[in-house]
Amino acid sequence: MFAFIIRRILQAVAVMLVISLVVFAIQKQFGDPVRDLVGERVTPEERQQIADKMGLNDPFLVQYGRFVKNAVTKGDLGRSFLYNKPNLEVIVNHAPATIELVLGTALIIIVLSLPLGVYCALKPRSLLSRFTMSFSTLGVSMPVFLTAILLIYLFAVHWRILPSYGRGETVDLFGNGIWMTGFLTIDGLKHLILPCISLSTLMLPLFIRLIRSEMMEVLETEYIKYAWAKGLSPRRVWLVHAFKNTLLPVITVFGVQIGIMFAFTLLTELVFQWPGMGFMFLEAVNRADLSLLIAYLVVVAALFVVVNTVVDILYGFINPTVRIAGTK
Amino acid sequence: MKKLLLTVLAVFMVMSFAVSAGAKTFKMGLDADPVSLDPQVQLSGGMLQLSHWVFDPLVRWTQEMDFEPRLATSWERLDDLTIRFHLRKGVKFHSGNTFTAKDVKWSFDRMRKSVDFKGLLEPFDGCYIVDDYTVDIKTKKAYPLVLNMATYFFAMDSEFYTGTDENGQPKDAILKIGESFALNNASGTGPFIVTKRQHNVVLEMKRFADYWDKNSPGNVTEFILSPIKENATRVAALLSGGVDWISPVPPQDFARIQNDDKVKLVNINGGRIITFQMNPNRVEAFKDVRVRQAIVHAVNNEGIVKQIMKGTATVAAQQGPEGYLGYKETLTPRYDLAKAKALMKEAGYENGFEISMMAPNNRYVNDAKIAEATAQMLGKIGIKVNLKTMPKAQYWNEFDARAADMMMIGWHSDTEDSGNFSEFLTMCPNAETGYGQYNSGYCNPRVDELTIAAQSETDVEKRKAMLQEIEQILYDDAAFVPFHWQNHSYGVKKNVRAQPVINAQNFPYIGDLVIE
Amino acid sequence: MKTKLQQFTESYFLYSFRRDMVAMASFAVLVIFLFIAFAAPWISPMNPYDSVNIDIMNSEIPPMWMDGGSKEFPLGTDNQGRDMLSTMFYGLRTSIIIGLGAVAIQAAIGVVLGLMAGYLGGKTDAILMRLADIQFSFPYLMVAIFMSAIFQVVFGAGSFEQMAIPLLTIIIGLSNWPMFARTIRASVMGEKNKEYVEAARVIGLPQRIIMFRHILPNALTSVMVISTIQVANAVMSEAALSFLGLGMPVTKPSLGSLIRAGQEFFFSGSWWITVLPGLWLVLFVLVINLLGDWLRDVLNPKLYKG
Repeated sequence: MFAFIIRRILQAVAVMLVISLVVFAIQKQFGDPVRDLVGERVTPEERQQIADKMGLNDPFLVQYGRFVKNAVTKGDLGRSFLYNKPNLEVIVNHAPATIELVLGTALIIIVLSLPLGVYCALKPRSLLSRFTMSFSTLGVSMPVFLTAILLIYLFAVHWRILPSYGRGETVDLFGNGIWMTGFLTIDGLKHLILPCISLSTLMLPLFIRLIRSEMMEVLETEYIKYAWAKGLSPRRVWLVHAFKNTLLPVITVFGVQIGIMFAFTLLTELVFQWPGMGFMFLEAVNRADLSLLIAYLVVVAALFVVVNTVVDILYGFINPTVRIAGTK
Repeated sequence: MKKLLLTVLAVFMVMSFAVSAGAKTFKMGLDADPVSLDPQVQLSGGMLQLSHWVFDPLVRWTQEMDFEPRLATSWERLDDLTIRFHLRKGVKFHSGNTFTAKDVKWSFDRMRKSVDFKGLLEPFDGCYIVDDYTVDIKTKKAYPLVLNMATYFFAMDSEFYTGTDENGQPKDAILKIGESFALNNASGTGPFIVTKRQHNVVLEMKRFADYWDKNSPGNVTEFILSPIKENATRVAALLSGGVDWISPVPPQDFARIQNDDKVKLVNINGGRIITFQMNPNRVEAFKDVRVRQAIVHAVNNEGIVKQIMKGTATVAAQQGPEGYLGYKETLTPRYDLAKAKALMKEAGYENGFEISMMAPNNRYVNDAKIAEATAQMLGKIGIKVNLKTMPKAQYWNEFDARAADMMMIGWHSDTEDSGNFSEFLTMCPNAETGYGQYNSGYCNPRVDELTIAAQSETDVEKRKAMLQEIEQILYDDAAFVPFHWQNHSYGVKKNVRAQPVINAQNFPYIGDLVIE
Repeated sequence: MKTKLQQFTESYFLYSFRRDMVAMASFAVLVIFLFIAFAAPWISPMNPYDSVNIDIMNSEIPPMWMDGGSKEFPLGTDNQGRDMLSTMFYGLRTSIIIGLGAVAIQAAIGVVLGLMAGYLGGKTDAILMRLADIQFSFPYLMVAIFMSAIFQVVFGAGSFEQMAIPLLTIIIGLSNWPMFARTIRASVMGEKNKEYVEAARVIGLPQRIIMFRHILPNALTSVMVISTIQVANAVMSEAALSFLGLGMPVTKPSLGSLIRAGQEFFFSGSWWITVLPGLWLVLFVLVINLLGDWLRDVLNPKLYKG
């Protein structure tokens, strides 16, 4: 177990080093952050002076070395040109928006996919099941951004019942200005609805199908047949015996998919102007804020490794028969 | 007793009614929020807008392009080099300090240290205090545009910005990157006090109770500015009632805003010219005036204004718009495909050639779409265009390198004067003097000569003749491909009286805004 | 001995296909789509990539059944004056080329690496699967964005227009190979201890032959199922990249860039620029997905649950 975690950490470090090196190597082509800091009248010499001061004219390996040294010794990932704040602070400030978006979406997925998936497995020939299944195929085939645009058009522009952009009113969760939450105000919750729905259309069909097929598989197993033979009530067989065993694989997939969902928040955040990490990432690319871009990639790499590791470990705990990959 | 109580109650009710009736919250959605609270850190439209809300200039532009007294009540020219400004008395800063001549001088001197403004202040010798409410502004040579420049002289609170902040840094430091006192703190004389600033999320302001301009009809008490970057989302926010005012409005949504019964569209002509430059150093054919003429004739800029800009731009054939000194009425747009083809043939390029073209996609209104349409139009005279559009952060690098044969550039004259266009766009590029900084390679010595002469010509009629001659030369040379002057457009709720507070500079004076 | 054709006509595969209305309908629609994509240059009313045909004065004309529509442009025009119908045909063609190409790349990398990992095992397996793990732990869309940014930068801006299709194909292909590698590896692990492989080994066939001639054909069903689904995914990825402005250039719009361009006109009433290519894309991806589902049920019900 310990060795497993160490290995994962080494992996993460290697990935971070490679990614940041690549970005540093090609940063010149991404654009000139100085151009964005000054007006269009400023002469090239003066821009050069600013770039000198910011250390942007050093050879990229020097810059890279400086970055790694600061990151390792001070935990300092540099300063964003665009936000004019330390990168870590910028990322931490944007994280809650994305996390809340993903949480809200996860909630929708759990609440809907469990009953629907189980129902479709138990009554595969019913009308509702068929409807759900065809709807879910349609859902998989809809690009997230198209769903988002259509939702905005219907709910925000046509019927004017839900807001179209942003997070609305947020309150400070811990009183220290780090976590601004939209979960605690009516306005904030209203703003969450459309983005969460559009993001959930991506994963909801997948989970309904997954739960359905897992459940169907479990229903075929010997011990369920045995449970029937014992004369247990259908409810007990379905919910206690079958459902519990369905959950295991679902949890692992959920862990992996949450990671993928983080990537798709990019599109949702773009369309809904959601001030989360994806939005920040696109802004950083567009405005040539290389410093923030690198810090972001490093943080994301760390995050994914952590999430995946935790999921693997959790899975190991829940199901002791599964050996953690790599511990032979 | 009972009567008294009732009276008191009634008074209270009236008062509370008056307060609630008077409290007007105004929400604005812009494409970006100001990068700083420091009015001198960056010369950009967004920063100047903010400056008009939180600070006051000596004079400001009216809709008719006249000068309106603000912190200066009157002015007179003492000699060729000096203009004397008489300052307003009884003006308070947000901090409570009193505004005097030393604040004007302090702000002027600080502005000279700013990288962004130092170029604009090049013609000036200095600011001299005569007494507490009088200053003399001197120039190095005779300079016709002192008042135009005085619109940039915003007074900062010299006492407030003096000393060191908690990081031990002087409070007047102008920093592009990193924390500075002025980045997050502001004390001006303007109509609004900043109450909260979360960069890229929100900027909140409230009305300054001691604002000097008691004649201002403005009744906005809370002013909340949010950046909404995506065009469609910004329009949706206005239509769904989330904000009272949006700008810029993408032309494709004009009709929708006009047809909606809760919102309206307000337009004003602006002075930003959009052009494509042809680089003769990269393409031999561009040295031939007939080829340049052919390109200008092949571009249907009226069609672009009609279809892409939805009529909210003014078709251009020269650099400066109507109302500028150099504007020449006889220079008219000249789309003529047959003539363009004939010119190509005459120049020996009947079979056309291939060129590269670059344009930004987030700098000017519909920039990428204009470029795309232009590429299609040039295709019709046999010029095959490889178009690449990109965000401005990358585009400026490419422009500096003159990386494509045709490149888009838009320009708004800082001084609201024709000469500024030539200085940056059409004078021969010269790294030493900095002239032609945004010129792709067109060069005509006569244009240089006239532009420089006009810089220190204070006789209006003579200046006009010079500036008009420049426009004529550029027209005949087909020095660049002119498209249009962008209009400024605002989408506002019906109860917002936007018309009186907007101007050609795109600095809506929200301090004077009335909400019904 | 039955001929291949007889074998096929009597197979369970065809039998179940004939019994499934949805599968047949999807297949029919897919064939139509493929035909349109293939024949786009001949059946489109105009070539939307050639500027000679495009006139800005024709922009934003609604479909012909609406007020202001014209017979010349049955489905209306986009914001540059391109015929929507033609642009959708060409866009589909681009999407399909990129989708198939990307899946071919994914499959090639995935099959080779998956075979090696599964058959050789040991160190090779550990290294290859670690690599797949690392890439897999990043969402592929993010990998694609990162790669396309790098590619655009490295290859320079000027030549992007000509290179766009091959570049996008490679980007999407590279960003999604682990899926194949893992599946192939899993089926190889299942096959490699079976008797016929033992037999092949005993008679001394080289490893390469055993891997490609003996094991691979038995793992092909899973490749097929995944391929269909991955084509759908690749088409969606291209649309997403184009939507983000990292895909096809404005002068050669794909379905994704059309949707993006049209988004701006959505609120002003020119809905067709977004909605028509949107529906077109959804329909195309939908039939592939339906066929994929059906294939999965028929060929290998237990395969790949994600």
